[in-house]
Amino acid sequence: MPPAPTVHICDDWISIDLPDWKMILAARNALSSNNCWTEIVPGLDSMAVQFDPARISPDDAAELVMDQMRGLTVAATDSRSTMTIPVCYDAELAPDCQFVAEKLQIPVETLPSWHEARLQRVTMLGFMPGFAYLQSEEPCVTIGRLSSPRQLVKAGSIGIIGQQSCIYSFDSPGGWPIIGRTPLRLFDPAGDQPALLSAGQIIRFEAISREALENWPQATVK
Amino acid sequence: MSMRVLKAGLQTTLQGAPFSGHRHLGMPAAGAADCLSLALANVLVGKPGTDIAFEITLTKAIFEIEEPCLIGVVGAAEYIRINGRDHPHHHTLQLNPGDEIQIGPSRPGCRTYLATSTEIGSEGLLGGRSTYMPAGLGGFQGRALQDGDLVAFLSRMSGAILDRTTPPALRPHYSDDHVLRVTPGPEANQPNPGILRDLCATPYAVGARANRMGMALDGAPLASSDSANMPSAAVFPGTIQLPPSGQPYLLGPDAQTTGGYPRIAQVIRADRHLIGQMGSGSRVRFVQTTAERATEIYREKLSLLTSWLGKVDLW
Repeated sequence: MPPAPTVHICDDWISIDLPDWKMILAARNALSSNNCWTEIVPGLDSMAVQFDPARISPDDAAELVMDQMRGLTVAATDSRSTMTIPVCYDAELAPDCQFVAEKLQIPVETLPSWHEARLQRVTMLGFMPGFAYLQSEEPCVTIGRLSSPRQLVKAGSIGIIGQQSCIYSFDSPGGWPIIGRTPLRLFDPAGDQPALLSAGQIIRFEAISREALENWPQATVK
Repeated sequence: MSMRVLKAGLQTTLQGAPFSGHRHLGMPAAGAADCLSLALANVLVGKPGTDIAFEITLTKAIFEIEEPCLIGVVGAAEYIRINGRDHPHHHTLQLNPGDEIQIGPSRPGCRTYLATSTEIGSEGLLGGRSTYMPAGLGGFQGRALQDGDLVAFLSRMSGAILDRTTPPALRPHYSDDHVLRVTPGPEANQPNPGILRDLCATPYAVGARANRMGMALDGAPLASSDSANMPSAAVFPGTIQLPPSGQPYLLGPDAQTTGGYPRIAQVIRADRHLIGQMGSGSRVRFVQTTAERATEIYREKLSLLTSWLGKVDLW
């Protein structure tokens, strides 16, 4: 049985240190079975639960967390199939493709195929509703963020800083170098599942033409 | 029927209860920055404390009413004027069609809540109606109100004419000087175990770019490591982060759901409504407490408020 994780207790939330994404997913599943938690928020190497301190004291909440963490079993694999995310790598929508290609020391025209070949795992959502942080298991040189963030990054933009990539869900400021854009809507508050992606999901990018992007059904791209 | 915004001021949004249960999707809390003042305003017009109201920030705002309605105004505004005549905070006020309501600038404090007895039209999503401006969601078209906007009223005033007055003992004291109690955050030992003591020993002033997402705190910089980035982890309104600059950053209701700076402290839930009254230039000190004591303080506060507000929740 794995050792009990370290927890940190604030007055209405508790942070739980966890070694990897497998344990985070297992913890999320275990914690979801209890309605004490008003929020269950995965991080990259931790998890947080929030509770109502009028209903449960921090000590009792921490005890409950420890109970729920006891004998956590890690699912061998995520049962969900790989999701394909269409991306248009047109240079006009990928203002940093040259910058990224230079960092990777590859010709810019091979950047789409380089990117398509790398499977990505969604590590967490954050920054904006539906904004996805992705991690590739293959090593990659550090690309880093732009020296000064852009005032406006369009929704659907794909950013990359190295092993980590992201997908912008709304028009927003942003500092990740942008190499393409997906027509998919990352967050639809009216949907049954408001966020397109969730932690643990494996995705693969697939190149589409500018025309396909612009004619994508329900495209958010204008 | 509706309320016309003659002058929206710096930032006026529709805010009520925060969004709950969607932080794992990246959806922040939003909702009233000062939930206590919101609840006090709502109860003056006979509504539940978490209903949607106008949240008015710092500068003067002017509205014109198009139908009879009751309003309750609670917050930092220096004055409330109806057709040029001063009226008190904390009282139910009765308005007639064509009346012009001026909400004065915040002095001291930062935000004022104007609740109406009629139901305010707003965009619902994820079980909430508050405005989350960064993604353009909720409230009035997902944005701050602008001069000339017409905010729809969905219901007419019901027959009952209330005449309520907030009990004096429950009226918040608005100030530009704040003391916030904090518990240690998960990274209260980074970069060294003395960081929380140093935070509590330092007087801070809220920096120039304070908004609903958060505020940088100006003061003697705290020790911080240059590589103050850690793997992103959950943050909440009231979390105090320590970026490499050594200037603590206090998160507000619209703060993103995860962050990569050490979370050195957490403002306790009982005190978080005060963050909504902090604007650029406000002074703040932090006092350390324990999670256990914070829970006692929170429950005492709720039981004090329950007699007037009924079932109440602060966030």
